[in-house]
Amino acid sequence: MGGGIALLDYDGDGRLDIFVVNGGKLHDPVRLPPDFRRYDPAFANRLYRQLPDGSFQDSTARAGLLNSPNIYGMGAAVADIDNDGHPDLYVTGYGGSVLYRNNGNGTFTATAEASVPGWSVSAAFLDYDNDGLLDLFVARYLDWDLGRNILCGTPFHSYCRPDKFNGVANVLFHNEGGGRFRDVSQSAGIASAIGKGMGVAVADYDADGFPDIFAANDGIEQFLFHNERNGTFTERALEAGVALSDDARSFAGMGAAFGDYDNDGRPDLIVTNLATEKFALYRNEGEGRFLYASLTTALAGLTSRHSGWGVGIHDFDNDGYKDIFASQSHVLDNVERIHSGLRYLEPPALYRGSPDGKFRAFDLGLPAVAGRGATFGDLNNDGKLDAVVSVLGGSPLVLLNRSARPGVTLRLVGRRANRDGAGAVVRAGSQTVFASSSGSYLSASDARVHLSGSPATIEITWPGGRKQTEKLPPGPSVTILEKE
Amino acid sequence: MLPLLLLAFAQVVTPELRQHVEAGLQARAAGDLPRAATEFQRVVELAPELPAAHVNLGSVYFQMKDYERATAPLRRALQLNPDLPGAHQMLGTALLAQGAANEAIPHFEKAHIDDLLGIALLEAGRARDAVDRLEAALLQRPGDPDLLFYLSHAYGQLSKDLFDRLRTQPGGETRVQQMLGEAALAAGQRDQAEKHLRSALAARTDLRGIHFALGELYLANGDYARAEPEFRAEARLAPLSAVAAYKFGLALLNLGKPAEAAKELGRADQLHPGMPETLLSLGKALVATGNPTGAEAAFQKLIETEPNSALAEAAHLQLSQLFRKLNRSADANRELKALQELRRSRR
Repeated sequence: MGGGIALLDYDGDGRLDIFVVNGGKLHDPVRLPPDFRRYDPAFANRLYRQLPDGSFQDSTARAGLLNSPNIYGMGAAVADIDNDGHPDLYVTGYGGSVLYRNNGNGTFTATAEASVPGWSVSAAFLDYDNDGLLDLFVARYLDWDLGRNILCGTPFHSYCRPDKFNGVANVLFHNEGGGRFRDVSQSAGIASAIGKGMGVAVADYDADGFPDIFAANDGIEQFLFHNERNGTFTERALEAGVALSDDARSFAGMGAAFGDYDNDGRPDLIVTNLATEKFALYRNEGEGRFLYASLTTALAGLTSRHSGWGVGIHDFDNDGYKDIFASQSHVLDNVERIHSGLRYLEPPALYRGSPDGKFRAFDLGLPAVAGRGATFGDLNNDGKLDAVVSVLGGSPLVLLNRSARPGVTLRLVGRRANRDGAGAVVRAGSQTVFASSSGSYLSASDARVHLSGSPATIEITWPGGRKQTEKLPPGPSVTILEKE
Repeated sequence: MLPLLLLAFAQVVTPELRQHVEAGLQARAAGDLPRAATEFQRVVELAPELPAAHVNLGSVYFQMKDYERATAPLRRALQLNPDLPGAHQMLGTALLAQGAANEAIPHFEKAHIDDLLGIALLEAGRARDAVDRLEAALLQRPGDPDLLFYLSHAYGQLSKDLFDRLRTQPGGETRVQQMLGEAALAAGQRDQAEKHLRSALAARTDLRGIHFALGELYLANGDYARAEPEFRAEARLAPLSAVAAYKFGLALLNLGKPAEAAKELGRADQLHPGMPETLLSLGKALVATGNPTGAEAAFQKLIETEPNSALAEAAHLQLSQLFRKLNRSADANRELKALQELRRSRR
């Protein structure tokens, strides 16, 4: 596991930077107390600042992020939590989590806010009560510690299946303003669902004006927390049709993302899984229910050999049809010895959408790697969505989009809504996109939204339901302020 | 043993003989087997023509699992009186334990001990006879793991014998490759399996089973794209095979070809009506092709056939979603509830 990655313009220079979460050193996985050697710069998280020529410079120390706490790093989430125009950073891990406040001068300060004990993994910022401040949902994986470690696998050791361990509740924090967060997991009904969380995705799936939360679970039923619009959530995955596969089986639910793959205006959902399980694509049918669509879209056959982690539903080739990008690799680094038909290292995959509603594999020509996190954003502000994939034990893959068709990247600036515009829905012709830096696996993407083509007019529905129509100026990168 | 011994002693008993017999019996009862052996050895010396004396001595060594020393007295006892089933059983077992299966066989035959006879026959290389005896023993003890172990060995030996014959037959190489491929597939050696099966296919394209095995291999890897043409070829070679039609339809369904899948799965259902796996996939294909009535029938039939299985869970889920889409909310809720209850009961 591990492999968190995030895109954020931390220094406000208009260029996306890359934050990479490192795990730590594990000399002996059963030795106590755990020392992940995070004090060693070799195992610190890394912040890479993008320079004007598109290259990246290690700015970790300069940004004050070199001293990582003694947690085994997992994921990252990004949001402007205090609406000051500077993206803040949240880092999850085994042993705790840390919120870093952006000081607005190119540096960060670690805080004790929103700290989560245990094993936190993916996290997502969302404004669940539409009060203009972004709240925080943190998924946790298992109730596990090094003292209760067990070994599995015969004749080759492998990670134990998650059913060997107890689950644990996820955590929801309410943003109280001033950079303070309050744990509302109990009162909001989040803590009553015991899961084995991995990826988290946020969208208002039933279009009631309040964002809902999908939490992928490993080996058990998935969770869909429906926002009851009164500060509480109800877990409705089974009723909504996203708890299980079409065979009523639970799966390894790893990465998750919302996106409107069929251009019907509703957020559909994808969940990446282990090889032979197929990625689960759920088509949003409206009225709060989904239908398993992996078979009808041919995605089942395309993905059943692959193990997916980070994932996104976006129009990467700007042809008007959403595609699916996934980082891939089996969870077991010795899987070939256990199942000779499977592979540990896999190249990232692009499944291209098409007018007939089916996906087709597109060979990106990338090397096979142990891909984990995947984050999406317009790195060079050319209106084309790029991707960065974290790689276990290796350098991240920075993938610049070379497609010929134009697109546009919209920066939404909320005024009554949260400044990031998270939760806004943007429509342009048949395209609908949902503003959120959440989704994928352990990752945070560009908070901006991406549209294909050169739409002349767009309609924005801001969190809370206020609509705004805007004529777009020409160009691949546009900023839109919420009207007061 | 004791009545036999006393009866035999009736005509020749002496106080010394009686003393050693009783001492031997007491020692054996007390678990002091070395002492019992010493006493019965003395009895044999005092009454060497008495079969029971030799049986007692042999049985003590047998109890001590000293099969080598048990052999001679038991042999002598049976020379003196061949009609001693217990002695035959012990001698046969002792011989078998020492690796003399051929010698053990007549003793088990005389003792009418099917299981041990079967094992001895198997070890003597007579697998076909062994199968008969072990099958007979299995009728008496159907779940006995040892019997099942030896029986599987016996069948394995028969299979190997036939395979060795096949190897030497002119033109047998194709089938050899097919068998090697299927065996490798069963052992999880997928690369080897593919190599052998491809080799068989290169020699003969008309053999049923090879395409199917390749399709299964690719399916186990999650590779529907490569499985599909194999199952298609198998379905062509074996047009009346329901399982080939099912697998072909399953591959088509996962490749996003629901119309073709529905046709093939429907054919599978006609060939073998009511197969639950077929019904589940058929129902899904019919949903995808806009035939909710047919889909509902397939799912309902599955639930009737296997109401408590994992497949029934899937059918309830599918029905709940189908009914929701058809605005039959009450039916949808009922199916969802049935799914939840079934999942709870199966945990």
